[in-house]
Amino acid sequence: MADSEFDYEGTLEACARGDKDAFQRLYQREAGQMLGLAITLLGRRDQAEDCLHDALVKVWHNADRFDRSLGQGRAWIYSILRYRALNQLRTRGRLVETDDGFIEQMADDSAQAEDIASDQSESRELRRCLRHLERPRRHPILLAFYRGLTHEQIASRLTTPLGTIKGRIRAGLRALQECLQA
Amino acid sequence: MIPEAVEPRRALIGEYVLGLLEGPEASAVRELIAHDRDAARMALEWEQHLLELADELPPQTPSLVLWERVQQSLGWAPASRGTPADGFTRWWNSLGLWRLTSGALALLVLLSWLPGVLREAPVGASFTAVLQVPGESAKPGWVVTVDGDGTLKLESLVADQIPADRSVQFWTLIDPKDGPRSLGLIEPGKGTTLSAEQIGAVQAGQLFELTLEPSGGSPLDRPTGPVLYIGRAVLIAGN
Repeated sequence: MADSEFDYEGTLEACARGDKDAFQRLYQREAGQMLGLAITLLGRRDQAEDCLHDALVKVWHNADRFDRSLGQGRAWIYSILRYRALNQLRTRGRLVETDDGFIEQMADDSAQAEDIASDQSESRELRRCLRHLERPRRHPILLAFYRGLTHEQIASRLTTPLGTIKGRIRAGLRALQECLQA
Repeated sequence: MIPEAVEPRRALIGEYVLGLLEGPEASAVRELIAHDRDAARMALEWEQHLLELADELPPQTPSLVLWERVQQSLGWAPASRGTPADGFTRWWNSLGLWRLTSGALALLVLLSWLPGVLREAPVGASFTAVLQVPGESAKPGWVVTVDGDGTLKLESLVADQIPADRSVQFWTLIDPKDGPRSLGLIEPGKGTTLSAEQIGAVQAGQLFELTLEPSGGSPLDRPTGPVLYIGRAVLIAGN
């Protein structure tokens, strides 16, 4: 979980100056959550640890390229992790079957009329906006994020034509960005 | 290929961040993000929103060796280990064995030197081979281990980059008369596991090597490219 007290941007800038203690603090702060995501994407702990290792090494080496005027430090770190995990998935393929129960559950989690009021105070913007998407648009986005599936893989998983899936994802992302910018 | 209008462009970048674009489309967006600050900002915005989904997942505690591996890869001596006290420690550290994915091997090597510690002795012999850059004994790159039931594990200590049009091939040589035998292609920096059936019986002194070959592997039944790493199997436990 993001820690609003933790200064990700300052920590990355310290890493860029060669501050090993800052890097260790970042590791202690974030490695567990990063590993959770890597395991969900890759399906296997050993591969996830390899991926996390590679991502962390990259974070240290590229810390000087982080620019806080472009965005938040934590997002930058996860962009590196996800990029490596996706590469790993594309080159080696998925080696294990995954249980997508929790994704189904989140896909079913539509906004109900009575939720709308409480949604107003919802600080988690993306979750709120996702719940306002129709399920057929929401589900493929969740499969792409949590399992790193390609368009083709999502189409076959949901037994839906490829063109339809591409269209739904694109429309879903457009609707999401409208909601997020609102 | 990339829309000029802001909103379609933002959506396309969202697809890229999700990992849904492939081939030239993915390359085009990657290029755009690398050179256009607005595009880079959009990509990080998506990433920031998607963090909410990552944070729905329970954190997982990394194994204890992970931090050591990271430090080793960054060329930092693990702080907890202190100054090498003797030749053995220096040798141990120089091999970079702590960078192994699994600390279990290191433990096995230690235990196997203490008679009677392993209550259940392996059925067959176990071997290890440290593969090094030819002629540079201080540059271990890969470790081969063969356990008691003959399963071979190849693990990487390095993250080498190789040209996109090349492949790394794994070979073994028992008897020079018979010539080398291919054990398949390896992804740089990533290991592999081969069953006893795939590698056959291993003996002390057996050579293992990784060579740089044309994409898809050597066109011949022997290496055609330079040797990247080479090492011999050493018996670490017998029955």
